[in-house]
Amino acid sequence: MNAFAHHLAYDFRTGIRDRSKLLMYYLFPLVFFALVGGLMTSLNPGFKQTMLPAMALFAYMCASLLSIPLLLVNAREAGVFRSYRINGVPAASIVSIPVMSTAVHMAVVTVLICLAGARFYGGVAPSNLAGFVIACVLSYAAFAGIGTLIGVAAANNTAATLICQFLYIPSIILGGITVPLSVLPAGLQRVSALFPASHCMKLFMGLAMPGSPGMPWGSIAVLLSSTVISFVLSAVLFSWDSRATAPSRKAWAALLAAVPFVIAAIVGV
Amino acid sequence: MTETIVSVKGLSKCYGSTVAVKDISFDVQRGEIFALLGPNGSGKTSTLESLEGIRHPDGGRLSIAGVDPVRQPGRLRNIIGVQLQTSALPPAMTVEEALVFFSSYHGVAARYDLIERLGLAEKKRLQYGKLSVGQQRRLALAIAIAHNPTVVFLDEPTAGLDVQSRTDLHTLARELREKGATVILATHDMAEAEKLADRAAILVRGEIVALGSPRQLTAAGDRRTRISVSTELGKLCAEQVAVPFALLHARENGYSTYLSEDPGKSVSAILSWIEKSGDALIDLRVERPTLEERFLELTQDKSTQGAAL
Repeated sequence: MNAFAHHLAYDFRTGIRDRSKLLMYYLFPLVFFALVGGLMTSLNPGFKQTMLPAMALFAYMCASLLSIPLLLVNAREAGVFRSYRINGVPAASIVSIPVMSTAVHMAVVTVLICLAGARFYGGVAPSNLAGFVIACVLSYAAFAGIGTLIGVAAANNTAATLICQFLYIPSIILGGITVPLSVLPAGLQRVSALFPASHCMKLFMGLAMPGSPGMPWGSIAVLLSSTVISFVLSAVLFSWDSRATAPSRKAWAALLAAVPFVIAAIVGV
Repeated sequence: MTETIVSVKGLSKCYGSTVAVKDISFDVQRGEIFALLGPNGSGKTSTLESLEGIRHPDGGRLSIAGVDPVRQPGRLRNIIGVQLQTSALPPAMTVEEALVFFSSYHGVAARYDLIERLGLAEKKRLQYGKLSVGQQRRLALAIAIAHNPTVVFLDEPTAGLDVQSRTDLHTLARELREKGATVILATHDMAEAEKLADRAAILVRGEIVALGSPRQLTAAGDRRTRISVSTELGKLCAEQVAVPFALLHARENGYSTYLSEDPGKSVSAILSWIEKSGDALIDLRVERPTLEERFLELTQDKSTQGAAL
């Protein structure tokens, strides 16, 4: 087994062993799903239509916004990256491996949500399985890119937490996860385009779910471009320790990843 | 025949307007234990990190076994082993995983003998975050030497270690030297440097103020031997006794301390005086100047010069 494979296998194992990862990858999204699934389907039967993609998306957000950035910041601040550097661990591995290992955990969580959602809460199953998988991959990639970029660019743990909460909380309310996008007032629909979750939900509804409103090309373009920008910026802005680059300069550069969403909100994607 | 394995010529390193290292030069030979000594902020860590390829020097030329740390960082990784002063491993990584993980990046098989040698065999399934500070440092050392590096850098290697672990580390450093590895250590512990190092450089405010073997360094300073005497009746403390070739340095805790240029004659004179005065000897200590004293002498000189400037 080569170094990359060892690293990936190790990182995957810690997804279960590390309590903070276990909480954000499995416990929190699944408990939230169990509670919200029961509550929302009884209050609003229409929620069954969006439940499976919304809960899968919620899990991706937990992992990508509440776990990956803080793990990166904490590792950098504690000097873990310095240990990696002196032993020849490439920056590309440090940035990409958590994203890949978390993807495997997210695949497991998605399967659990789909099986349990359909079985216990009557969640509507995807009509296009391949489309559902593509939407899962694109949505996870978009959030993982943003989470990685926050972890790389944030000056410290507090800054990372604040930025993530700024994305996470409005995404739950305005991103179509708990309230369908279609019922939002026109002004708020514009605002919702600033958050990746709304584009992910449009992707799921257009690509995978019954009664598709059509291919959401605009959201696909926004998510793809955001993902590419996020990962490229993560690679460029990566630093081995906290002293290497001025944090404010990195924060401004990282804002480039928001450009596709701002354009989407302006043009009304 | 000696072989220069580490060459530093005119190294300079600045952080903004702060000059951390000013145009320093030194060579280290293969199989040597070389100590970098200096107070906090003297430039030890900047020098080490420049050699380790972690920092980019602002001036000068560096070479480690023919490899330029700035231009050839990839080649450097497999010829050096580094135990950093401030570093960590992921808290959930076990001792065994750490060994396998880093060995795989160096392209070598994991050396389980090292975790046994460093007293970590029983802890191999324990996570890094649950190890004591001493165990964490021993694991860092195991990782640093697991790929048989040509040059090993140890930054404050015994900080946080108990007496036994400290002795074990010294033994290990000597074993590395016997196997032909070169060890460069930065330390605050003068006794450690005196005991372990073949040569040492004392850095003050980014400059080398002394370079040589610990014996040469101490010999270059105040050569007077310290003689401390305690007697039953304390007559030596109570009276002004003129001791040949010696000056009274201090009287404290029942001891009279003299600084002597000819300790043999001074001790003989002191003992005769005690006998004649009807007193009796309790304790007599004869101590050569230590590296620590020489270090303090040099660092205080330099600080005074800096303040005067």
